[in-house]
Amino acid sequence: MLFRPAKALAAATMLLGLPALADETVRISGWGGSEVAIVNGLLTNVLAEKLAKEGITVKYEPVDGDFSQFIINGLSAGTAPDLFYVDVFWARSIFSAGQAAPVTQDVSGFAANLLEAFTYDGKLYAIPKDFNALAVHFNKDIFDDAEVAYPSDDDTWTTLQEKLLAVHKALPEVDGLCIVPEYARFGAFALSTGWSPFDRQGKTVLDERFRRAFDFYTGLVKSGAAVMAADAGQSWTGGCLASERAAIAIEGAWIISALRDSAPNMNLGTVRMPKDPESGKRGNILFTVGWAVNAASKVSKAAAKVATLLTTEEAQQWVFEQGLALPSRTGLADNPWLRGGRPEQMTSRVILEGLSDDHVTPYFFGDVGGSWMQPINAALNSVILGEADADTALASAQSALDRMFAK
Amino acid sequence: MLRVSSDERSAWLFVLPFTISMTLFFVYAIIRTAYYSFTEYDLFKAPSFVGLSNYIALVSDELFLIALRNTIGFSLIVTTVQTVLALALAVLVNHAVRARGLIRTVFYLPSIMSSAAMTLIFLWLFQRDGFMTAIVGTVLAYRRHVLLFFIGFAALQGALVLNARRSYEGVSIFDPFFLLAAAVGALALVVACAFSGLLPVFDNDLLISWLNTQRHFLFMPVTLWSVALMNVFTTVPTLMLLFLAGLQSIPSALYDAAEIDGANAFQRFRHITVPALRPVTFAVVTMGVIGTLQMFDQVAILGDAAPLASRVTLAYYVYENAFPAGASSRIGMASAAALVLGILTIAVVYVQKSVGVKERAE
Repeated sequence: MLFRPAKALAAATMLLGLPALADETVRISGWGGSEVAIVNGLLTNVLAEKLAKEGITVKYEPVDGDFSQFIINGLSAGTAPDLFYVDVFWARSIFSAGQAAPVTQDVSGFAANLLEAFTYDGKLYAIPKDFNALAVHFNKDIFDDAEVAYPSDDDTWTTLQEKLLAVHKALPEVDGLCIVPEYARFGAFALSTGWSPFDRQGKTVLDERFRRAFDFYTGLVKSGAAVMAADAGQSWTGGCLASERAAIAIEGAWIISALRDSAPNMNLGTVRMPKDPESGKRGNILFTVGWAVNAASKVSKAAAKVATLLTTEEAQQWVFEQGLALPSRTGLADNPWLRGGRPEQMTSRVILEGLSDDHVTPYFFGDVGGSWMQPINAALNSVILGEADADTALASAQSALDRMFAK
Repeated sequence: MLRVSSDERSAWLFVLPFTISMTLFFVYAIIRTAYYSFTEYDLFKAPSFVGLSNYIALVSDELFLIALRNTIGFSLIVTTVQTVLALALAVLVNHAVRARGLIRTVFYLPSIMSSAAMTLIFLWLFQRDGFMTAIVGTVLAYRRHVLLFFIGFAALQGALVLNARRSYEGVSIFDPFFLLAAAVGALALVVACAFSGLLPVFDNDLLISWLNTQRHFLFMPVTLWSVALMNVFTTVPTLMLLFLAGLQSIPSALYDAAEIDGANAFQRFRHITVPALRPVTFAVVTMGVIGTLQMFDQVAILGDAAPLASRVTLAYYVYENAFPAGASSRIGMASAAALVLGILTIAVVYVQKSVGVKERAE
């Protein structure tokens, strides 16, 4: 019989309960842009020692372009990384196809609604790494020049609209708010009325509550309180704020990095989403990303370990304090960094508060996917452009949604 | 015993690489697509046979019917317009005596731009308060000026030609010198009237939705008309070059003989140019039909800048089903729609070959 030293060493290691000497390589993947700085920073500044101690080498593959297509192609071809980002918007298509391994470690420190966003069929399939929600960002100098009170946390739709109209009246070249005819922004208003995207039967009903929010949102342009972003030469509301075409923008914390480049000296303020004057409640949309382990990974245990390390309180605090992303761990909500007055600190504080708004819904739409938004977006668009009245547009949207669910 | 000649062997060797790639990427792919079109498949679980369900779902899907209508309308409009424009431009460039090379290069420039870059430029031009709206706004504001210019131009040209015909026979109504003189005269008339305050300038605050709209014009969404304009702008130059090559291969003796026989410019174009260009026209129309039926990139780049129903084409419908945003892939539906698109393309090309432009010159 031949003597095999490697096998003998492995057997001895197992018997003695010592950590494996063999280095395991875990391929991880996320999107490009600022995420490259976050993950590289974590791997080199925070986790290098811990990973070495675990005997894990991490190979990071950032992807610019359409990340969901990259992952779907990779998973179907068997070439996907061991650990990868899943956006709540398309995570369900990965979970339902059995391509992610359920999370087994303790996740008690994470925000409950973020865990719920990544739960499918009663099982958690991804560890939330960060999140974002909507808030009202405003240019204090514009409000000062117009001699109008700043937006506040106590604003309702009505009081905010009055302030926007007052700004436009005082400074005709400035519009109050830039809006886009998209559920991704309008949805927060609809949710604050208590309307839910899906009823108990799993269908969508555009009821009176939805109609109230719809009339308010589309009426903003007609009243002169807002302008369509496209008509201001912008593709998003943050562009209008940066170019000082609009006094406020409704966006997530991602606006900070955009303003850092395009309007670094802006005197920025951020407050929470306005309340529905009838219900007195706030609504918000949750945008979140998690780490999921590839169900077919040959190093799934090591990949799960990397996911845990990347989302520890220490790791999230580092990311948080760099002003790069908002933590998914509730323990960090009391972090002293949040009490600072810099724009990123103020915005992070407000958006963290938005996580516990009255009606918060993750940005995903079940098995229907993004198609669900199309009838609503088309209705918003046609009414804002004056091509249809609300009755006609909403009847058409409801019938399109009914057809979608009938399939 | 059958012996294969050396020439024949060489010929087979030359076509072998293309035959292999055709087999791999076309024959195999089409067989797989046909198979998937009878299954339900999400790229992960094994495909399950569902018979004709995908095809039945297709014909009852309103978005598919819209995509089909949009595709046929788009193909009809763009193929016709780009063929006529390319031919007209080729004739014009062919007649240019000076700087023909420069003119040809300038006209060809739009074709060398990537369609992605061109679409982004057009997105900017087509903004509601953008350049295209400004042009329409200016024309509407100065509509009296424009009207007076054309009336003055026609009157002057008519007067000049009639006057000339009193002295010389055979003066063309399109005499270039008179055209230029009439244009200058009409322009002077407009400027004089404008300065004397006789022509009002109309106020307008136009915001035209070129892309972001659900309105229709005739049988097609306004959005697709805008995309058609964009598409024509980028494809005409390439097709113009094909026509130009065809024009330069027509013997000049034919034109000389026709001229001696008394044929005017239009008659020479109608009876010599058009029949001689039939093979090129056939190629241009066929390429146009295939390209427009498979229109994808420009509508995909438009993205959320336009409502889906206003821009969806069959090729985009296939993509929407293969990679739906935030939902599982519907490869069965995508394959069925892709086959319908393939069959439609073959059918239209066959019909155009049978009853449209003939392949051979007269």
